[in-house]
Amino acid sequence: MTQHLNEDDLYRTSSQYRLWSFSPEGLAALRRKTHELAITRASQYATKSNSYDGQGGAAVDCLTSEECLRLVQRYLDQVRTTSDHFKWPIPVKATAVQYLARFYLSNSPLTYPPKEIYKTVLFLACKTEATHMTLSEYARRISTPADEVLAPEYKVMQALRFTLDVRQPYRGLKGVLMELLNLAEGRVGEAEGVETGGAKALQAEMQALEMPPKTAQTMWRVKPAGKIESKDQMDRINAAYSAARTILDGPALLTDAYFLFTPPQILLAALHLADEPLTSFYLRTKLPLDSDLRPKILTTIAACAELLDSFSGSHILSKDERAALEQKLEGCRDPSTRDLVGSHAVAKRGGDGGEEAEEKARKKKAAREKHLKEGPAHSPVAKSSSLASG
Amino acid sequence: MSRIAPPKSAPVSKRDPRTGVVQSQDDVCPVCKSARYMNPSLRFLVNPECYHKMCESCVDRMFSHGPAACPIKGCGRTLRKHRFREQTFEDIKVEREVDIRKKVGATFNRREEDFETLLAFNDYLNDVEDITFNLINGIDLEETNKKFETYTRAHGKEIEENAQMAVQERQSFSAAQKLERQQARERREAARREEEEEKREVEENRRDVLNRLASGADAETVAKEGQRVQLKKRMDRQAATERQSYRRLKTLTKPEPEAPIDPFDGLRLVDSYFTLQDDYIWEGIQEARKDVKQTAGGYDVGDYAHRSLVAAFSGLGVFVADEITQRDQLAQNDGVVSEDVGLKDAKMIHAA
Repeated sequence: MTQHLNEDDLYRTSSQYRLWSFSPEGLAALRRKTHELAITRASQYATKSNSYDGQGGAAVDCLTSEECLRLVQRYLDQVRTTSDHFKWPIPVKATAVQYLARFYLSNSPLTYPPKEIYKTVLFLACKTEATHMTLSEYARRISTPADEVLAPEYKVMQALRFTLDVRQPYRGLKGVLMELLNLAEGRVGEAEGVETGGAKALQAEMQALEMPPKTAQTMWRVKPAGKIESKDQMDRINAAYSAARTILDGPALLTDAYFLFTPPQILLAALHLADEPLTSFYLRTKLPLDSDLRPKILTTIAACAELLDSFSGSHILSKDERAALEQKLEGCRDPSTRDLVGSHAVAKRGGDGGEEAEEKARKKKAAREKHLKEGPAHSPVAKSSSLASG
Repeated sequence: MSRIAPPKSAPVSKRDPRTGVVQSQDDVCPVCKSARYMNPSLRFLVNPECYHKMCESCVDRMFSHGPAACPIKGCGRTLRKHRFREQTFEDIKVEREVDIRKKVGATFNRREEDFETLLAFNDYLNDVEDITFNLINGIDLEETNKKFETYTRAHGKEIEENAQMAVQERQSFSAAQKLERQQARERREAARREEEEEKREVEENRRDVLNRLASGADAETVAKEGQRVQLKKRMDRQAATERQSYRRLKTLTKPEPEAPIDPFDGLRLVDSYFTLQDDYIWEGIQEARKDVKQTAGGYDVGDYAHRSLVAAFSGLGVFVADEITQRDQLAQNDGVVSEDVGLKDAKMIHAA
C-alpha cells in the first residue's frame, strides 16, 4: 500500500510546522503571556529586595513588552553581525537568529537578558549547522570566557523544546533561480494541471514581460535600446535573485516571518518584492488557474511581502538606545538568574536532589565489592519465613 | 638473644577417599575444639540457617533434644537437627549462594516459552537476578522478600504447573536417552551382520568363478560375469540399506526469495509543484558537473537540483495561521492541553 506524500505533507512533518508556527493572534497571545508571567515574577522579587533594604514597596520600573521586543530585535541583529564577523555561511546566521527568537517566545528578557544569551545561541547554531568551531577558539574570538558561553546552553535547549531544525528559504531560492533560468532558455518542466502552451510560448511570454515597477528592489533596469535578448533575461533573473537574497538576509530574519509563514512563501514574497512581474509569471506556470489553493497562496505571499516590506533598518535600536534599555533592565531583572555560570556548575555536579540516589548507588557498589572480597556468611541472611521454609 | 621459633610446617592435608572432601590435620571444631588429629573420622556439618560448621558429635549432643540456639558466639539463631548437612562446596559463600539460588529458582521457574517477546523474558531474568543479588548481599531485604511473597501469591498455580512439567520432562528425557542407546546398539549389530554377509558372498563368488574356470568355460567371460554378479549384489544391498536408513532427512525446500527491502515501507514522495529536468543551465550546476572534486565521490548533481526544488515548494500550500488555529481549537475541544503550541514553556520560567 503506497502512500503518496507531496511537498506540503513533507513540510507538515517538520518540527518548525508542529511547534514553531503560529497565527498572528496566537503569537501575540504567547508573547503577552510570557511577559505577564515575567512581570509578576518581577514584582515578587522586587518586593523581596525592597523589604531587605527596609524601604517601602516601591513599584519596580520594568521594561514594557514593546521595549522587550525591540531589545530582542536589536540582539537578533547583533547575532547577524557576529555571524558575518566569523564569515559563517548564511544557514548558520538564519538558524542562530531563529533560535534566539524562539527562545524569547517563552522566556522574557527580564529573566534572561539577551546580552548573556546571544553568544550561546550562535555557538549552538554553528554546531547544529555543521560549521563547528571549538569552544576555546570561539570564546577567544568573541572575547568571552568559555563557561559563560556554555552556561545558558541547557536553558536554551529547553526553551527550544530540543527541536533544532530551522527550515530556511535559501536553498529553495536557488531552486527557483535554476528553474527561471531554464525557462528563459526554453526548457520547461511541466507542473500538473497547468496549461502552459509549451516551452517556446513560455519563453516568448517571458521576454514580453513588463518591466519591474519603480518600487521593485531589483537592480535590473531595461536598457534604453529596448529589445530584450536572452542575455538580458539572464541578467534580470540574476538581479532578482540577488535582491531577493538580500531581503531574506535582513528583513526576513528580523521580523516574525518564520513564525507566520513557510519558507517557500517567504522566498516567493522576497522575489515578489524584488521583481513582481517575474514572480507572477513564475507562479502562473506553477499553479493551475482553476485550483482553489491558488488565490489563497497568492494572498499569503502578498501578506508576507507586506510584512517584509514594512520592516526598515531604522526600526532597530541604536547603540545608545540599547545601552539605555539595558541600564533600565539592570534595575528590574531577575536576580536569581544573575549567576548563570554558578548554577550551571551546580547542575553539572548533580545538585541537591540527587543525594538520595547517590546514597543508594554507593551502597550497592559497596555491597558488590564486599561480595567479591569477603563472604556473605558475615552478612545477615534473610530471616523471612518464606525463605526459611524453602 | 631469644631463639627464633622454627618455621611452622605446612599442615598435612589429604582427601577423604570416600567423600572427596579435603581434610587437614588442623581442622578444629569451633564448638568443642576437638581436632582431626585426635579423631580421624571427624566430620563437619553445616546448617543452612547460619552456615556455621560444627562437628557431628556437637550436633548430636546439642540438638538431639529439639531445637536450640547456635553455639557460635554472636549468632543465636535457633537451629534444628534435621537441617544439618554435609557441606558440598569448599567455599561456604558458594554454598550459601547456591542454596539461595535453588530457593529462588524453585519459585521463579518460568520458561522462555511463557513469554511473548525476548525482551520480556530478559526483563524477567533481570528481575530474578536482582532479587537473587539482593538476597545474597542483604540489600533491601524487606522489599525483596515482599516481592518474593507477592510473586508467590500471584503465580502459585503457575509455579506448581511448571514444576510438574519439569519433572515430566526429566523423566521423558531419560526415557528418550535409553531409547537412543538401544537404537545405537541395534544399529551396530546390523552393521556387523552386514559385514559378515559381505565377506561370505565374496567368498562364494570366488569359489563359483573358480568352479566355472575349472569346468572349462572361457576365462574372460567367466571373469566378467563374476564381476557383474558381485556388483549387482553390492548395489542391491546398498539400496536395501538406504531404504531402511534410520535417519530420514527432511526434503530441503528452497526458501522463497525475499522481496527487496523497501526502506520507506510504502511511502513515496511525489513532486507536485515541479518536474525535475535533466539539466539546469545555472552555472552552479554546470560547474559542479565538471568539477572532479564533486563528481569523483559519485555525487549526483541532479540530487542537489531536486533537493533545492523540493525545498522551494515544501510548504507552499500550507497556510500556517488557519491550520494552527484549527488544530488548537480541536485540541481545546478534546479537553487536552495542547503541548505543541508551546504555552507550557511560559510556565517553565517558574520551574527555572
